[in-house]
Amino acid sequence: MSDSFEIYSSEIDCAALSDALQHDSAGGFVSFEGWVRDHNEGHAVSALEYEVFHDLALSEGKKVIKEALDKFGIVNARAVHREGRLHIGECAVWIGVVAAHRGEAFTACRYIIDELKHRLPIWKKEHYLHREAEWVNCQHCHNHAKTSRLEADEFYGRQMILPQIGAQGQEKLKNASILVIGAGGLGSTALLGLAGAGIGTIGIADYDTISPSNLHRQILYSAENLGEDKATLAKRRLEGLNPMIDIRTYSEKVTADNIQDLFTDYDIILDCTDNFTAKYLINDAAHFYNKPLIQSSIYQFEGQILTLDPNDKDTGCLRCLFPQIPEPGMVGDCATAGVLGTVPMLFGTLQANQAIKKILGIETGSSFLTFDLITLQSQPLTLPRNPSCPLCGLAPHLASVEPNLEIIIPTKDDQAAKSLKNNYTLIDVREGAELQINTVEDAFHMPLSAFDMNTLKAPKDKELLVICEHGVRSLAAARALRKAGWEKAYSLAGGLHAVPCLRVSKDEDIPA
Amino acid sequence: MADKKPLQIRYFAILREQSGVSGEQIESTASTPSELYDELSNKYAFTLPPKMIGVAVNDKFADMSTPLNENDVIVFIPPVAGG
Repeated sequence: MSDSFEIYSSEIDCAALSDALQHDSAGGFVSFEGWVRDHNEGHAVSALEYEVFHDLALSEGKKVIKEALDKFGIVNARAVHREGRLHIGECAVWIGVVAAHRGEAFTACRYIIDELKHRLPIWKKEHYLHREAEWVNCQHCHNHAKTSRLEADEFYGRQMILPQIGAQGQEKLKNASILVIGAGGLGSTALLGLAGAGIGTIGIADYDTISPSNLHRQILYSAENLGEDKATLAKRRLEGLNPMIDIRTYSEKVTADNIQDLFTDYDIILDCTDNFTAKYLINDAAHFYNKPLIQSSIYQFEGQILTLDPNDKDTGCLRCLFPQIPEPGMVGDCATAGVLGTVPMLFGTLQANQAIKKILGIETGSSFLTFDLITLQSQPLTLPRNPSCPLCGLAPHLASVEPNLEIIIPTKDDQAAKSLKNNYTLIDVREGAELQINTVEDAFHMPLSAFDMNTLKAPKDKELLVICEHGVRSLAAARALRKAGWEKAYSLAGGLHAVPCLRVSKDEDIPA
Repeated sequence: MADKKPLQIRYFAILREQSGVSGEQIESTASTPSELYDELSNKYAFTLPPKMIGVAVNDKFADMSTPLNENDVIVFIPPVAGG
């Protein structure tokens, strides 16, 4: 069996490679061939030489193929890259993908070539007809090829005409850095707005992957991207829109442990998340680490946007308005309350607009705005500091961000999931009816509706892990346990939905 | 017993759903937003406790114990988290 990715020093036999991928369960085969062409950036080319850093290229290439297999559920894929001297017309890179259906075969093939181009340490020496040969790093030349066609003055021309922007304002935008947390409904349009405006450095933090229910509102993504990592794909989309800016991704969950580091490199934070735990964490971190924050939330046909700046003693924060994090289930989220796509699209755009104004030194207007998109009534409000705010009031009692309460299990790491019971006392807080379908091995059952910590025998220094279906009820229970003195109480992030291998199905028939 | 005074009220999100109106003019004896919210909770069976509600009086966020005057505009805002 050949390796999934190889470097050839002699001619690639494309037909033989195609034949080797034949598979009875495959209904479609897609291949890509990259050929040596006779010109590059206006110079006639006579030949090419590829130099490859072997170990790294091989391991990275195989990683790309594995990612494609995992992401797209294809039957098989293989890629070959040439090294050495190649003449015009010769095949430099070959990729073949077989899949049950054509859709995933096309998508996976596209993914593989894009990632190989980006990630492989391969240099190419171009031999020109009319000038000296030159070495170019292929990764660099991939980006360079895109940007060389763009002139900043032309790209930003229409906004630079605005008296509030001009060349000076454009320079301010270029020097600015903004972190967007959450690349979902709000994040999609916020990111497009920021990238289009030319914010020089944009950070994208999102640990989620694209699911079908995201697509109606998360306009950075397409149906062909199902299952892909949001942050990575968002970066690729934004680079396609504006290759002149620097985009960084953080594909991990934002927690109390990493939020300070994440904030360090950025001037302004955009909270585009969809849950209270994240919103309160980001609000508190903005206060402690002194970052202006633009936060938005939506509910069905309505949205709210809050613009705050810890340096401005006249504006309040989320806790000035709602001091305590709401109990789970009291207020609906997109999943339970429903959402029309245009609502977060609009509010994400408003967030980008607020951030851009802030960078340009333009008045940012009311610190709080609610907008009902049915009646088209908007309500701008002034949010002053609340003297009794637990965070920024006269006698605050919060001294740091709330410690991290969640244990995060990486996707598909079943081994890590199964070893949880060795390290923690497991408590399942789902209701009795839910346990009719499946249970968690070795877990105590204490439904949240009848949660009584007095009956808990575990010593206070014991490490507890609370589990529910989606990680919301378990977080509330873990928070209550911490308050009651179990300092090592945690919640399983995302619940059993995120770590399904913990479920043990009930074999016996469920009585009708 | 205090006299009834006219008040203008606006509701958002789940409060608008539960009251069935986005705003209304009422006559009330309530002297603070807190009393007013209790009164309205009885009328509409609001599910959110008052400590989870933000209130603004005449376009400025206020305390639930701010004294209310004739013709004040009171806006009740529940927290929302969707994104």
